[in-house]
Amino acid sequence: MRSECPSASKLLEKYFDQEVTPEERALVEDHLPDCPVCRMSLDSMQNLRSLIKNPVEKAAREENFPWVWEKIERGIQWKERQGFWDVLKSWLDVTPLLKKKVLIPAVAVAILILVTAPLLFKKTTSYPAMSVVEYVESETYNVMIYQPENEKVTVIWLFNGPEEEVSPS
Amino acid sequence: MDVNEAQLISRCQQGDQEALREIFNQYHQKVYRVAYGVVRQREEALDIVQEVFIKLFRSIRQFKGRSRFYTYLYRMTMNTAIDHSRRMAKGPRLSMDEEEGIQVSDDAERRPDRILDQKELEERVKWAMDQLPPDQKACLILREVEGLSYLEIAEATRSSIGTVMSRLHYGRKKVQELFKAYMEGGR
Repeated sequence: MRSECPSASKLLEKYFDQEVTPEERALVEDHLPDCPVCRMSLDSMQNLRSLIKNPVEKAAREENFPWVWEKIERGIQWKERQGFWDVLKSWLDVTPLLKKKVLIPAVAVAILILVTAPLLFKKTTSYPAMSVVEYVESETYNVMIYQPENEKVTVIWLFNGPEEEVSPS
Repeated sequence: MDVNEAQLISRCQQGDQEALREIFNQYHQKVYRVAYGVVRQREEALDIVQEVFIKLFRSIRQFKGRSRFYTYLYRMTMNTAIDHSRRMAKGPRLSMDEEEGIQVSDDAERRPDRILDQKELEERVKWAMDQLPPDQKACLILREVEGLSYLEIAEATRSSIGTVMSRLHYGRKKVQELFKAYMEGGR
């Protein structure tokens, strides 16, 4: 038995796929009852379709998809986070030439500034300005009272004489 | 494309995840069937479904409506599945079916001899389909599993109707021949 019928072979596959015109359909259907080769060929295509399709249909029927959606949602969020890191990476990603000529000197200057800045702008300790509030002279002691501008402390100095300091209190 | 679908796509293009969820609810079965048709393994097919919808969310802005949305999605699924099967070919991994046994739905199918037959048959089909060039495999799956017309397949694979017919013809012929050779012990 021939495996292909010369009279309908071109139309048979289109007929099987339902892609024929009404006229072509009529031609094939007139031909089929008298042609066992074409009938066998149709059966063979139908068997192949079942072999390919049925396991897929069965697998799809048995599948539970809600958890797949949850994984997709998580995947999207993860990719969004990854997107931010990609941007950051691309920002930091410089060519070797740029790295050599710009990045390394820039880092060196930054380190130099960090090291020297505290030395340059170091605050010197200074005593708060004081003003003499009162000065009293007596036979035994001379007394001088100081009042700092910003502090609530009063300093009293006792002198034996005009030059000799006794003790602050 | 109907108005609802256009609105849904537009929302998704603006980053609305709820819109993507609606698209997922509408299309996940189709995507899964195509994915399973290509890889014939449950876990791999589920991985592909996830990958496709994540990809879709990230690239849907590129969809300009020049083709129908479902053919655009079929194309994305087919490309992802074929890439996936190429990776699988490089480093095969044990599928869920192999780990947990075939999932069966009724008592007759639970008989050990039937399980063996089904599993063997599935393996034969997978083997024969894997011998096809990717273009022929894609056309055959879109036609036999999804029942797409020649025009829809042409749109999904970005080819002409004549090319689709030719790929279907040679794909079917090759699988039938391989199947016959396998049955005669020629694997």
